[in-house]
Amino acid sequence: MKKTICLSLLAFSSLFAQSELDALKEQLKQQETAIESLESKVGALSQKSVPNTSASFSQNAYLPDIAFIMNMSAMSRNVKNSDYEAYSIPGFINGGDAEIQFNKDKGFNFNYTEVALSSTVDPYFDAFVIFHISLDAFETEEAYVRTRALPLGLRVKAGKFKSDFGRINSKHQHAWNFDSQPIIYETLFGPDAISDAGVQLQWVAPIDMYLMAGVEAMQGTNDMSFGEAERNNLYIGYLKSSIDVGDDLSILAGVSLAHGENVVNDSTNPTDVYGVDLTFREQLGSYSALVWQSEYLYRNKDLGPRTDKQAGLYSELVYQANNNWSGGVRYDAITKNDVDLSAYSVDAGNLDRYTAKLEYKPFPMSRLRLQYTYDRTKIIAGERKDLSEVVLSLNIAAGAHGAHDY
Amino acid sequence: MKKILLLSALLSSLAFASLQVDTTYSTMGAVTEKIGGDLVSVTVLGSSKYDPHFIVPKPSLIAKLRRADLLIMNGGGLEMGWLPPLMRSANNANIQNGAKGFLDMSHHVKMINVPTSVSRGFGDVHAQGNPHYSSDPYAILAMAKAIESKLSELDPTNEKTYKGNLEKFLSEWKVYLNKLDAKMATCQDKKVVQYHQLFNYFLKRYGYKSFGNVEPLPGISPSSSHTLELINMMRENDVKIILQDVYHEKKTAKFIAQKAGAEVKIIPHDLGADGSKTLEDFYDGVAAQICR
Repeated sequence: MKKTICLSLLAFSSLFAQSELDALKEQLKQQETAIESLESKVGALSQKSVPNTSASFSQNAYLPDIAFIMNMSAMSRNVKNSDYEAYSIPGFINGGDAEIQFNKDKGFNFNYTEVALSSTVDPYFDAFVIFHISLDAFETEEAYVRTRALPLGLRVKAGKFKSDFGRINSKHQHAWNFDSQPIIYETLFGPDAISDAGVQLQWVAPIDMYLMAGVEAMQGTNDMSFGEAERNNLYIGYLKSSIDVGDDLSILAGVSLAHGENVVNDSTNPTDVYGVDLTFREQLGSYSALVWQSEYLYRNKDLGPRTDKQAGLYSELVYQANNNWSGGVRYDAITKNDVDLSAYSVDAGNLDRYTAKLEYKPFPMSRLRLQYTYDRTKIIAGERKDLSEVVLSLNIAAGAHGAHDY
Repeated sequence: MKKILLLSALLSSLAFASLQVDTTYSTMGAVTEKIGGDLVSVTVLGSSKYDPHFIVPKPSLIAKLRRADLLIMNGGGLEMGWLPPLMRSANNANIQNGAKGFLDMSHHVKMINVPTSVSRGFGDVHAQGNPHYSSDPYAILAMAKAIESKLSELDPTNEKTYKGNLEKFLSEWKVYLNKLDAKMATCQDKKVVQYHQLFNYFLKRYGYKSFGNVEPLPGISPSSSHTLELINMMRENDVKIILQDVYHEKKTAKFIAQKAGAEVKIIPHDLGADGSKTLEDFYDGVAAQICR
């Protein structure tokens, strides 16, 4: 009897268990169907209800990098503005001919806004445009294309650009180590330096040491040294090399040559400018460095009846204390001025200048600079006059501004 | 005879021709050596002595990029201030952005601290997220895989070797990670402040909480008001560890430590910053400093 009860219980329970299992299976099946139908609904929804809202011809993703730079200053000078504007530098710049772009007036100066656009054009070219906008002029400072994919370490640049002649010719004012251009650059080329329409070819040697050679053919419109207008007349070549001594000291040296033609009284004659430059940079930490940079330029300007031989140099020492503070001094001089100076009734020798600066950068994109200049290169209101200047300048670079070259 | 000699010389030079790989930082360089072995020759551009954001773009680095077959960069904006002008000047089509020999490692790791809005008003904020992922020892796995597939793509004849090296390295590294995890599991104090958000990946990995930074905003030097706030905050929250990198000034951190009764720990941000020679040494060094 007991056995029968047990057995029947067992059979019953197993039957019951079976039916329970079946119920679960059924439930599972129902759920699966539900999931399937949900999935198909989701699929349909994701195709239907999220339409592609992108504008069919939108090119927003290809917007170029855009940056703008502003430079302004407050100036104190021991000379009247009207006299300063007409300054001359004996043998180089005649009274009233000086093109003064930066920090011209006593009091406040808004020097310029620069708008820089850069973009990769296609797999083969990058393009750059820099507009220089002063209060009353809009200029194309540079606009060029540059190759991305040439073989053999070659690169070509074409358009309107600043030549890579010398150490600082290619640098824009906001990247200068001092607010003023070295006198020898100002007197041979003016504030824009050698900047012209043309083409450039550069080659980097495939060796352990940095060695770069470049040649440029330019229109030669810079009439302070060149200026033949009927055809392109300016050819430039340079070699630059650098070595490291240990981890912290790097030495960069360059030699440059510019050969062009000048026009005086309808006669065209050759001008040659030679340059050598040398930069030492000792890194004292991540944010601290000592940089000693010097450059010497020599110009041979054939004027037909006579040849002017002029030369000058600058040498500067900049100490960067940390990522906020830096200071520097510069010495400028005209070392050779073998020209006809008979038109000057005053002493035209010993043309030199001393400059010191203190800089504070709250952030890498902004800079306050206090600069003192003692300038003995100028004739003002008919007299050799020692100029003293104190300028406080503010420079900012906002937006997508690319890193500077070394 | 001469011809044969010449030919064999040429062939042997070809046989030993190795891929020139430049990496921007040293940790990636060490991983590349593990995967490439004798088949690659690795050059590290940025010395680990210096702040990785502010490597000086010396012309000698142009010469190094000129002959590279592959450039591996950290990405995430870390090289923004120094690498682009060097790449431009190197005139090497192989390694330009988009070329086959260009590898942005940040595309292969998961970035954290991605800001929802970006402005330089917040200091030096990286739009793509915190770029200092190499502080995470687990990131090495993703880096190794990305490097292997890039080397195999550039040099398919040696794919087998690269794959073999990867497998071997991954299994070694997993063993090391287990050891490191075990060590980190013993650390008691999980509260820190940092000079800069350099170690977020490591801290996240091992359950640390970072309470603040010595610099008031990324890339901005310490200010006295922020320093005082930080001291008070550390006292309130009982934070006893300050993580300092090797390249920033250490005065502020020491001052804060003294006032808050905390300890300054100098943590390497990259292989070699503390004199470490191997990847294991580097992470052991980080762990030894942080763990207490």
